[in-house]
Amino acid sequence: MNEPVELRAAVVGLGKLGLLHAATLNVLSGSRLVAVADKTKTVLNGLAARAQDVETFTNHRKLLDRAQPDIVAIATPTGHHVPVALDCIERGIPVFVEKPLSLDSAQAKPLLDALEKQPVVNMVGYMTRFLHTFRKAKEVISTGVLGRPQMLRASMYIGQLFGRGKGWRYDKKASGGGVLTTQNSHVIDLLLWYFGDIDWVSAQATRLYSKQIEDHAHVFFQFDDGLRGYLDASWSARHFRTPTVAIHVQGENGTLDVDDDQVRLHAVDATGDFTSGWHSWTKPELYQGTEFDIGGTNYTDQTMQFLGAVRGENGVESDIASAFKVQQVIDAAYASAEQNGAPVSIGDFG
Amino acid sequence: MSMTANPLTGIVLGHNPFFGVDHLSAARGSERAAYFSDPNRILSTIREARSAGAGGMMMSTHERAAPLADLIATDAALARDFRIYPLLPYAQKYVTRANEVGMVNVVLEALSGTTLSQKTAMFMKGGKAFVSKDINAVLAALMQIELKPFAKLNVPAIFLHDAFTDLALAFGMAEVFEFYLAEIEKSFGARGAFATKNLPTLLQRFSEWGLPAPLVMTHFNKAGYHMNPSRQACEQAAAGHDVSLLVMGSLASGFLKPDEAYAYLSSVANVDGVVVGVSSPAHIQETFGAIRQHMPGLNVRLAA
Repeated sequence: MNEPVELRAAVVGLGKLGLLHAATLNVLSGSRLVAVADKTKTVLNGLAARAQDVETFTNHRKLLDRAQPDIVAIATPTGHHVPVALDCIERGIPVFVEKPLSLDSAQAKPLLDALEKQPVVNMVGYMTRFLHTFRKAKEVISTGVLGRPQMLRASMYIGQLFGRGKGWRYDKKASGGGVLTTQNSHVIDLLLWYFGDIDWVSAQATRLYSKQIEDHAHVFFQFDDGLRGYLDASWSARHFRTPTVAIHVQGENGTLDVDDDQVRLHAVDATGDFTSGWHSWTKPELYQGTEFDIGGTNYTDQTMQFLGAVRGENGVESDIASAFKVQQVIDAAYASAEQNGAPVSIGDFG
Repeated sequence: MSMTANPLTGIVLGHNPFFGVDHLSAARGSERAAYFSDPNRILSTIREARSAGAGGMMMSTHERAAPLADLIATDAALARDFRIYPLLPYAQKYVTRANEVGMVNVVLEALSGTTLSQKTAMFMKGGKAFVSKDINAVLAALMQIELKPFAKLNVPAIFLHDAFTDLALAFGMAEVFEFYLAEIEKSFGARGAFATKNLPTLLQRFSEWGLPAPLVMTHFNKAGYHMNPSRQACEQAAAGHDVSLLVMGSLASGFLKPDEAYAYLSSVANVDGVVVGVSSPAHIQETFGAIRQHMPGLNVRLAA
């Protein structure tokens, strides 16, 4: 067998996640960083001074045409994801896009059309799928041990905002919205991954500290298969040092609880490999090392799945098509919140 | 302070329980944070652990580190003999703030959190750094600010947070490591040390770059938790390089019992210190007892 190809990677947008992707793509054996683009020169210059083999650009089109990378990771503010991704797809370059995919589903629609004309490997950065506990939960749910799902509650809290926020995340034109889209798109992605499509939603959103966007949201979901439940979301929740996700689901044959620390299953009747009663898996016992860990093994594993897909070795779990569905759910939730919680059908959006 | 003696020292207290960090349970972390919100409770736990044989303590540059450092400095014996290992910078603070105000603002904020005269000097240093593309000057300015609370304490080594070590490793920036080692020695009279989640890569790069044998804090445990790419690869790297290891995560966030944890750790090469998170007297007795039983050579190597 030949040595695996070392893919030449570029990163557009050098904030916190852009730096993480740049570092990961540089250190993994399957790829190497050749170019970065950012509109501001602060980080760009720092990188240029210390990483001599990396070309720097302030315009992503110049990067694409001059550096001609094999793959591109996009980590700009949300509003720029779609135009940059379109430029990559048009040039036939496999593209990784940070989450959320877009400002709203209408903005993302041209991506689906472009991919139909020019199919390229594409992935969206819903990295929560690669956290070991949430991955284990998917495995357990997929066995069908829970039976027909009956009810659901989910939450994601972090204590990061107790005053007016500064930066693009708090500017609706750049971010598309508040805590629901910026952070809880992860939870909505997980719920769609676990339980299938959503039919309609009812939502309320609250501005506690921000002028343009919501800091707190409650969303009720009706899934296609009959499951019902809600999501509670806040980035102004006291005592949460890091983002904390928790999901509880009850089915006719059991319950499942998953959070960042562990998975707990209770099966009423023995099913498949599961005996009747309690089962639990903690983070340390689910842990699997990865080639190089910078911000968490989930980021590395995600990047490796993308690289594997580009090499044709495996598929991609979270792609532009699945991330588009997340945007539709978020659009419906915002529309519902504007109508004081009136039910809004997902089908109304694209 | 002597630069020749081994700066790592047997049993080292972890700071996480004191600051409400619990990697297995966020709820338990919050409870402990409430209990230890009184720094005197931390101080009495430190005294207890010291009399049971702990030689030092990790300390992140958490906002509560400064009052705690002041309190430790009031105890002459602790200030003289008890070794403090700062870990910088306090990463979660930056990540959370970066979400809120953006990365550039975080650095500017950090630079402005000092007295007026210092602020002017450091802002000049940091501001110039942006223009001259010199990351190192920014790092130096941040180091000055973050290490200020520890000036009166016994600080033999200063660890760079794994988020920064591993980022610099991934970009292959040898100069960042060279600069950090030199700056810590020059400005603080201590040894530059590194936390990492990627021990094999770090040791291989240090060897390729011709850097001296490093002091490294990294996870080692029987469960392989936080060990990359695998437990076996880390064990081989530890045995195959000249390195002084301060082991953290030896109980895999409470997943392992002390007895099995330290029986395993005694088989790992080049371990000179073990970080232990303690929260109660019973916990101190059980954990320290298991370390003494299974790792009797730990302090012998230190005395040499």
